[in-house]
Amino acid sequence: MTHEETPSADPAREQEAERAVPPASADPAASAPRASRRDFLKAGGMLSLSSLMGTAALMVQSDNARAAIEWAEHFQKNYRLMTPQEKAEARARLERRYSQEYGRKVNVDTTDAQPGVLMGYALNVRKCIGCRRCVHACVAENNQSRGSRPGEKIEWIQVLRMERGEFAKEKMNQGYPEGLGIQVGGNAYTPAGEVLEGQYRYEPAAVPEKDATYMPIACMQCEKPPCVKVCPVRTTYREPDGVVVIDYNWCIGCRMCMGACPYWARRFNVNNPVLPKEEINPVTHYLGNRPRMRGVVEKCHWCLQRTRHGRYPACVEVCPVGARKFGNLLDPESEVSLILARKNVFRLKAELNTFPKFFYFYD
Amino acid sequence: MKKIAPFTIALAFLASALYAFSAAEKTADAAKQGAAPAQPAKAEATKEPLVCFESRKGASEITQREIKPGWPNVKCSPTTGAALWYGDPYEGTVPLGKMPGLEKIPEGHAVVRPRSEKLAILPMCAVACHNGVGPAFVPPALPKDKKPVPIPTMEGLLPALKDLQHGRGRIWCLDCHHTTKRNMLVDNYGDPVSFDQPQLLCGKCHGDKLRDWRDGIHGKRIGEFASTGRKRWFVCTECHNPHNVQDGARNRGFAQLQPEPPPQLPRGMKDARHELVHPIPH
Ligand code: HEC
Ligand code: HEC
Ligand code: HEC
Repeated sequence: MTHEETPSADPAREQEAERAVPPASADPAASAPRASRRDFLKAGGMLSLSSLMGTAALMVQSDNARAAIEWAEHFQKNYRLMTPQEKAEARARLERRYSQEYGRKVNVDTTDAQPGVLMGYALNVRKCIGCRRCVHACVAENNQSRGSRPGEKIEWIQVLRMERGEFAKEKMNQGYPEGLGIQVGGNAYTPAGEVLEGQYRYEPAAVPEKDATYMPIACMQCEKPPCVKVCPVRTTYREPDGVVVIDYNWCIGCRMCMGACPYWARRFNVNNPVLPKEEINPVTHYLGNRPRMRGVVEKCHWCLQRTRHGRYPACVEVCPVGARKFGNLLDPESEVSLILARKNVFRLKAELNTFPKFFYFYD
Repeated sequence: MKKIAPFTIALAFLASALYAFSAAEKTADAAKQGAAPAQPAKAEATKEPLVCFESRKGASEITQREIKPGWPNVKCSPTTGAALWYGDPYEGTVPLGKMPGLEKIPEGHAVVRPRSEKLAILPMCAVACHNGVGPAFVPPALPKDKKPVPIPTMEGLLPALKDLQHGRGRIWCLDCHHTTKRNMLVDNYGDPVSFDQPQLLCGKCHGDKLRDWRDGIHGKRIGEFASTGRKRWFVCTECHNPHNVQDGARNRGFAQLQPEPPPQLPRGMKDARHELVHPIPH
């Protein structure tokens, strides 16, 4: 049921209650006190009496309906264990809360993995020009926090700039010995000594730069994801269509998954996410881009809200050079299958046996 | 027990009072933040319509408009003016047309945005000067061969033609443009090809790229990802300027673009210089 459709006994009173809620709240948790499960658990650790009092305060502070929604959210099951009925209830609850908070109808999809689909991704590293359009398209699509204070600006895709190597005759005799005082090898190779991990914050007037190559990195949707292995509450898991997802409501914010991920793919909401009303994407998926709360981890999910309905992910659609390719790995005619069959392909950090379904290729 | 009870109650009151206070503060904070972005949005409404470009700046522009309330056809980057998000991937498209190798794709599932709408000079091509027998001025004759000759009129219209950077001196206008039908391109048999289907032109010399393009590996497609899904295909000239595929010394087929802003700096870091240093010089 949507916010607009909610029958109300006393419209005037309801309007009153709505006005008490901050207008145009950029920040879902601020308009709804105690939205985070983590806070709740913390409160539970306090004296039971005081936590009960806290609950009482919560009930009187905002309208009862909203408090009840949050109350129910705190006690809902892990998404994977919910019955279809419970899923529908959770969905209706979230839709009501989001629609109220963002002042427009927000849809929370719960479409399951489609039979016969195993999603796969391929990226042409030779074509990528490092323009970062994918990064920003992802933010526009997936309702990430976009504040200006530290930790409030979240991006799921990182574009790594690496310098092209060059062997120079003039440097043949340089630097014997340097640094540690021992001979570390030849010195004719230029950039390797200057850039260790590559650059993420390059800002030239135009890309691609002459001496650089670019490598975008996001969640690899591993077949054997280390993040899933370490999650103590099992809130992150692999869906049957191959995407690793998170039930944000069960995330306790321990960040074990962030430590376990070898691809730096996961982000943590240190603060309350900043998502202005007019910028929200109202088409969301429960396991995908629905607005998150403070204290939970998030990451790329190949735009489940789109891909479960057959549409390309947002990053694929905006890449100006067409370096990003997406498709069904079980369909031999799909572009990703054809790339795997025809091009030179590699996986990032293949030696870790994570078996990503994100492939890099070049032609 | 009796002694602790009053303390506990007091503590609880204190905790909930503190909590209520912090919540009120947050609310005020949020109100401030919410108000800030509302201002520029209002100012925008009175401004000119937003136009953003897809892959070729100056040759692949789209005008932003609302398809349904709060749902634009495209979102534009405020920094670079690039298209950042598609609300409707099929806007303004027409069928791609018949092409060998696309038999499995259902009718109407391969669509393109017509290039001819983007070309300012094209409407004049077969009318103003070229009337089907050659230039309408003196001498009124068709070119005898396809070899390069300077064409000052055309260079005035399209400066890129002065130094045609395609093929390194081995191709010229009539390898691509139809000899008599000047509002058409030309395929390998010399038959006319629409400007909306440049792949039939480019493919006669770049067969490997054509094959990859047809399979979705080169170039790009948006819409439905299933191999038989409905897709908008980007045609060759939406990414490549046919009159300049070398870009001088860069020698790259795709022109440079301004990048989108970089990610946030880590807390306490003033600039990104740390990314440039190596702890141990090699
Ligand atoms: C490699 C093939 C190729 C060659 C060589 C070539 N053209 Fe073109 N030309 C094209 C294509 C393709 C287009 C359509 C461009 C587009 O869609 O952006 C075009 C467009 C044009 C236009 C219309 C541009 C507009 O903006 O309306 C003119 C005029 C033109 N060419 C003239 C010439 C002349 C004169 C020469 C020889 C000096 C030449 N072309 C050489 C492929 C070529
Ligand atoms: C008549 C043959 C011919 C046609 C038609 C043709 N090209 Fe080319 N193209 C060439 C040749 C020759 C080269 C230069 C190869 C070289 O010297 O390395 C080239 C080079 C290129 C390059 C690489 C740039 C470079 O030199 O590194 C691109 C990109 C390209 N063409 C795109 C296109 C597109 C897009 C079209 C269709 C609008 C097209 N070509 C039509 C003959 C053709
Ligand atoms: C979505 C944009 C896009 C489209 C559409 C596209 N290309 Fe390209 N093409 C590129 C990019 C990017 C490169 C790499 C250029 C570079 O190295 O700077 C490239 C490279 C090329 C090259 C140079 C070959 C090489 O390996 O460097 C040729 C030839 C070419 N394209 C032909 C075509 C033809 C023919 C079509 C249409 C059938 C086409 N392209 C469609 C983006 C595109």
